[in-house]
Amino acid sequence: MNFSISDLIYIILALPVVFSMISAVNLLHKDVLHWLNRLAATAVFGAIALLVASFDVYSPYRDAYLYLDALSVWMLLIIGTLYLAFAWTSKAYLDRDTNKRYGYLRRFGRLEGRFYALSHIFVWIMLVVVTVNNLGLMWVAIEATTLVSALLVAFKFTRTSLEAAWKYVMVCTVGICLALLGTILVYYIQLTDIGPANPLDWLYMAQHVDSIDSPMARFAFCFLFVGYGTKIGLAPMHAWLPDAHSEAPALTSGLLSGSLCICALYVLIRNIIILLPAIGVDFISGLCLFFGLFTVAAAVPFVLVQRDVKRMLAYSSMENFGLMMAGLGLFVPSAAQAMLLHMFNHALVKYSLFYTAGTIMEEFGTKNMMRIHGMMTQTPRTAMFWLLGIVGILGMPPFGIFFSKFYIIFGFFQADHPWLGILLLILLAGMLIGILYHVMRMFGGQAKKKSAGELLGFTDSLALAGLLLFSCAASAGLSEITVLNNLLSHAAQIVLGGVS
Amino acid sequence: MEYLVVFLVLVVFLQTRITNLRRAVICLASQSVIISIACFGLGLSSGSGLHALLPGILTLAVKVIFIPGAVWNLVGKLTNEREILSESNVNYSTMAAALFLVMGYAIVERLLPGSAGRDIIAASILMIMTGLSLMVLRKRAIIQIVGLITLENGIYLLGLLMTEGLPLVVELGVFLDVLIAVVVLVILTSRMRLSFMTTDTSVMKKLKG
Repeated sequence: MNFSISDLIYIILALPVVFSMISAVNLLHKDVLHWLNRLAATAVFGAIALLVASFDVYSPYRDAYLYLDALSVWMLLIIGTLYLAFAWTSKAYLDRDTNKRYGYLRRFGRLEGRFYALSHIFVWIMLVVVTVNNLGLMWVAIEATTLVSALLVAFKFTRTSLEAAWKYVMVCTVGICLALLGTILVYYIQLTDIGPANPLDWLYMAQHVDSIDSPMARFAFCFLFVGYGTKIGLAPMHAWLPDAHSEAPALTSGLLSGSLCICALYVLIRNIIILLPAIGVDFISGLCLFFGLFTVAAAVPFVLVQRDVKRMLAYSSMENFGLMMAGLGLFVPSAAQAMLLHMFNHALVKYSLFYTAGTIMEEFGTKNMMRIHGMMTQTPRTAMFWLLGIVGILGMPPFGIFFSKFYIIFGFFQADHPWLGILLLILLAGMLIGILYHVMRMFGGQAKKKSAGELLGFTDSLALAGLLLFSCAASAGLSEITVLNNLLSHAAQIVLGGVS
Repeated sequence: MEYLVVFLVLVVFLQTRITNLRRAVICLASQSVIISIACFGLGLSSGSGLHALLPGILTLAVKVIFIPGAVWNLVGKLTNEREILSESNVNYSTMAAALFLVMGYAIVERLLPGSAGRDIIAASILMIMTGLSLMVLRKRAIIQIVGLITLENGIYLLGLLMTEGLPLVVELGVFLDVLIAVVVLVILTSRMRLSFMTTDTSVMKKLKG
């Protein structure tokens, strides 16, 4: 069969909604639902893979509302891969969570439909974020992700998850409202400098960036930076992030950390491309570097004293978002490319880590790392994936994150910020020590309480192994895989130079 | 227009004084009524047809009828709940609102000197900042929702004045988001009432570090 690009896009944007509607009705048996969920996600991933393979980076796709260039296709690839992983791990997770003996959700019945409906619509909105062409619609979609995922964060309706969801909605909505103010100011700039045609159309504005020279631009950028920065989880606006990531169901935490925050980063990048010529590189670069490094620095002490296993992962995500922000702020081609690669690697590895952490929580009946011991003997398979994921996220050589972190830090030295690079290395070393200390304690020793045994099944192990391998292969062999390499270098060009 | 601004400032100041939940909802609704009148006024003066009337109609439907209705419904269910109120917060938020009003005029004078809608811009800055301060200083969930809508109204008013309204699809999307936000917040608040027996958010302080 031959699909044109518009066919593929409509498949990608239609299937999740259709499945979400089906599961919201909640009439089907849960086994049928599990299989339909896998089918929908696999079909969407297949369509994205076809799109990546057939996409010509020199002729972006556009119609009235959608616009796809290399950057959006790269984001689609990240979200699509996580969507696939979500679908193939969700059955095992939900079966465990509703298990009569130890599951968190054992008191509720038939929650699969609601969970699938919310999760798929959540993924769909993220797919919309990266495909729409209008800056206003991007804002609308980002705000919608907050609202849908808030219901997912509060899915267990325990006291702590309600607290996390409340904080999440309040902090993020305020942040996103400031971003709306920024978007309104961008529209004002467009009206005064470019003209009333094609309101807030990203492509049109990117083609006319040279005529923007309003003093308002800097003002608008500050609002956008604070607004979307809240959603990315930059310190000091990160108050919601550890709570939401630790209290959500493990699958949702993986999606939140892996794809939602980078969607906000994507929208910020789109806005930066418009405003960059009017503001100048120095201002944006300074803000991004400062807040990026500050986020990494703010995350380190919390990791060192952490007891909650998912909060530790949440702070590790913050470190990685800080790193991405700093990589963006360098405005060096290799660092921009490494930042995009880091988004991909971090998403894949962090999803597998959150999933493993969710499994550990059920095996040992606690999320306090101080009470988890003897993983090697009690739950060998989970221990292996936990170790692989941790080694991966810390950026040790065979794994993908090594390459992306290496090139971001290399960018610091290229861009004449050697001292900042050294500072970042010290902070990363602190992160490594903190995480390894906690994780090694979990591996060794004798378990005081008997665990529930090995809960990681065959399908989910396969999915996790696939994620880790894909991240390794894509980053280590990037120069050999022409399609990805081409896509990535063009996406980096768009990040730095717009459409010219 | 001047009378509208005066009424708006009055309503916002009243908002900071109110501790009774039902009165806070009425106050929110009247604030939205003023916003929708402003929408009709600005829309009809700049153009005609659907796009001129739509913001006003949507504001009337969403922010005057639906949102206060949903919150009013929720307040009706909150009986016998523990009240943890401190009166000093009320005075702080009124004082903060007074400062914000001065600040609003100062910002307008600096950024857009001599612009036509000076008073409206200052009033919308007042609304944005007051909404924020209500969310930060007050502890009751309903008042925080009211603060959020006030903040949103302020941004909306500012946008309306500066750009004569966003593009139509974006405007529809923004209204949809506000609608969903209130639905989500109402769900969370009613679950909060079930789990904590109160809607005072200061009881939620378990997650730290």
